[in-house]
Amino acid sequence: MAKNKGQPAPSRALVRRETISGYLFMLPSLIFFVGFVIIPMILCIYTSFFDANLTANGEDTFIGFANYVELFNDDIFRKALVNTIIIVVVSVPVTCVFSLWVSSTIYKMRGPLLAFFRCVFYLPVVTGSVAVTVVWKWIYSYRTGVLNDVLTGIGILDSNVNWLGDTSTALACIIVILLTTSVGQPIVLYVSALGNVDSTLIEAAEVDGATDLQVFWKIKWPQMMPTTLYILVITTINSFQCFALIQLLTSGGPTHATDTVMYYIYYSAFKLYRLGYGNAMGVILAIFIALLSALQFKLAEEK
Amino acid sequence: MKKILSLVLALAMALSLAACGGSSDSGSSSSSTGDSSSSEGSSSSESSSTESEGDAEGDASGSDSAEVADSITLWTYPIGNWGTEATVNELVEGFYEATGITVTVEYLDYTAGDEKVNTAIAAGEAPDLIMEGPERLVADWGASGYMVDISDLLDDTDIAEINEAALAACYGDDGAVYEYPLVMTAHCMAINKTVFEAAGAMQYLDEETHLWNSTEDFFAAIEAVYEYTGSAVGAVYCGGQGGDQGTRALVNNLYGGTFASADHTSYTWNSEENIKALEALVACDGIEFDASIVGGDEIAQFYQGTLNVAFCWNIAQQLDPNTAGTGSGLTLSGDEILFMAFPTEDGSDPELCGGIWGFGIFDNGDDAKIAAAKQFIQYMCDSEATVDAVTAANYFAVRDTVADGTVDISDIWADNEIMNEYNVLMQYLGDYYQVTTNWTSARYQWWNMLQVIGAGGDVAEAVETYAANADAGLAE
Repeated sequence: MAKNKGQPAPSRALVRRETISGYLFMLPSLIFFVGFVIIPMILCIYTSFFDANLTANGEDTFIGFANYVELFNDDIFRKALVNTIIIVVVSVPVTCVFSLWVSSTIYKMRGPLLAFFRCVFYLPVVTGSVAVTVVWKWIYSYRTGVLNDVLTGIGILDSNVNWLGDTSTALACIIVILLTTSVGQPIVLYVSALGNVDSTLIEAAEVDGATDLQVFWKIKWPQMMPTTLYILVITTINSFQCFALIQLLTSGGPTHATDTVMYYIYYSAFKLYRLGYGNAMGVILAIFIALLSALQFKLAEEK
Repeated sequence: MKKILSLVLALAMALSLAACGGSSDSGSSSSSTGDSSSSEGSSSSESSSTESEGDAEGDASGSDSAEVADSITLWTYPIGNWGTEATVNELVEGFYEATGITVTVEYLDYTAGDEKVNTAIAAGEAPDLIMEGPERLVADWGASGYMVDISDLLDDTDIAEINEAALAACYGDDGAVYEYPLVMTAHCMAINKTVFEAAGAMQYLDEETHLWNSTEDFFAAIEAVYEYTGSAVGAVYCGGQGGDQGTRALVNNLYGGTFASADHTSYTWNSEENIKALEALVACDGIEFDASIVGGDEIAQFYQGTLNVAFCWNIAQQLDPNTAGTGSGLTLSGDEILFMAFPTEDGSDPELCGGIWGFGIFDNGDDAKIAAAKQFIQYMCDSEATVDAVTAANYFAVRDTVADGTVDISDIWADNEIMNEYNVLMQYLGDYYQVTTNWTSARYQWWNMLQVIGAGGDVAEAVETYAANADAGLAE
């Protein structure tokens, strides 16, 4: 960074004072971050090498990589991993594309109309997950659900479908709910990003005869890349960590069709008391997320 | 640098969630967790004391010579009104007046309660007292060495007075007593009597004894109601473990199968009898295997009239005036509900799954607290106050007299017609096999097995696989 000519350099004492105050301002969040993120992270890795199961009266046995070896021989974990990847692969692109489409449609609106659409799409984000789940459970209910009522009423279905109780539909139902709760934040971010695109560039391109698609692809899209990257990362992490929906709706069933790694971590650690095994899964999940995030950063960089 | 920082942040988020996941619900003592019958909260009796005023009524063994703490903590699951703050406050205030010991109460639910207790155990912050059943107090925490042996609270009179099956369930494999039983019930099933009458299906059962004529007649009744209503009559719910005692008892009773061996050392649900029962249920048009609901959902659908048979039922549901307030023993639309034992092949006595609830003491290494906790147990389970403690639970007392036979509590429910009628089922209380080792894992295998069968899997193969899994867990 270039120094401002004509201005005297700050004294060492001033620099030190500012540095100290900077760190002091950071301290509260740093304590929180270390206490609730870094230390649990280290404990997670540490515990994953132990047979920590809450049933040995506090005596955990060091077992090296045995938990990790067991993981990759565990059919349920493999199934949970595949389900998690399906959720990520489907929900991340759909969330991004859908929220981009909605944002492109509404960002030029002004006043109450824009606020209305922002509110409609953001509402599921601020609604409690239990409330959202209860409503969806009622919608999907096999015998009394509104979805079956509507679809049989208009003749699309001959008989009721057990949406959450059938292996062929349960995971798709979970993904649909996840989408409704995931698009709110990306839409708000995209509306903001689209509003910040340099309008002079757009006008210049339109004068030069660029089509709407060309304007979007050549001007708006590159300027929205940082926002897109952020949305991709948070949506990916949220999808990987899909848990509450599974716990409240399906408990991973039927026949593990909706088991996710997060739910299996919870079940192993807090239902079967296998803390070491659950933490080993947490480490594997973290590695997956890190790898995918790295890939996303790499692709974004190439763009 | 930014990329590295971002990756570290992503890693930290995932790992910290893995390390802390699931504990958020259990960490709060005041948040609702979605369980319809309970909420978490915390309360304590208003008064406090610096010194214990003496023994509870009766003599709390083990506390004679030891110092007695002036305050203890009790965590209770929602066992009847033991999950209701106002009721429990009255009980603990009565205990305070008798002993000078303050009891701080926290209310657990069945959704997140286990996590809360296990997290507390891991953190060395377990409560002094806990109220629940032997599957947790004996088979889980007792077997893991976290509970105090309270056999010194049971003298010969107590042992003679307490229901034999209930008391047997309170003993650990090591011969120690980890639970002092207070109340019990027998889980059963229920039918919509109004619909059954309209369908001409009442001929297949005995309304007076609450028994089915036979398994064949049970299926004939389901068939009759199915033809009458044109929709599913009952559901083998298997969306999770909630209410799974109903599906276990149904399957076990149909052709005389068992769930675990009599000595509680192995799981026996892979028997021919159980396979035959499951195949019969799969073949029955009026019964659906439903992986989208658990016991609570089934009860709700039964109250709504969507289902006309409920396999998850007990006296608590029979007494419930339901959400529409139509009254006890009625559905939301006012149809009459008849509780029934589970069907057996020849109409002989069924083996009903029992519910037993009482108190256990966590070994927190504080003899004074343990002594105070023992006084609490003796006060609630073996004194004049037992009447109120049992009434609060809305279940049946495990004994007819307390306080060395001086107080008769056999007529607690004399004025309650429904409780009196329900009492006919208590004679069918079967083996309390929920104390079989590795019970938690076995339950998991059970409902997952039902899901496989419901999805069209081969019954015999599924039964073999999942029973073997349960036994393998047992070996661990």
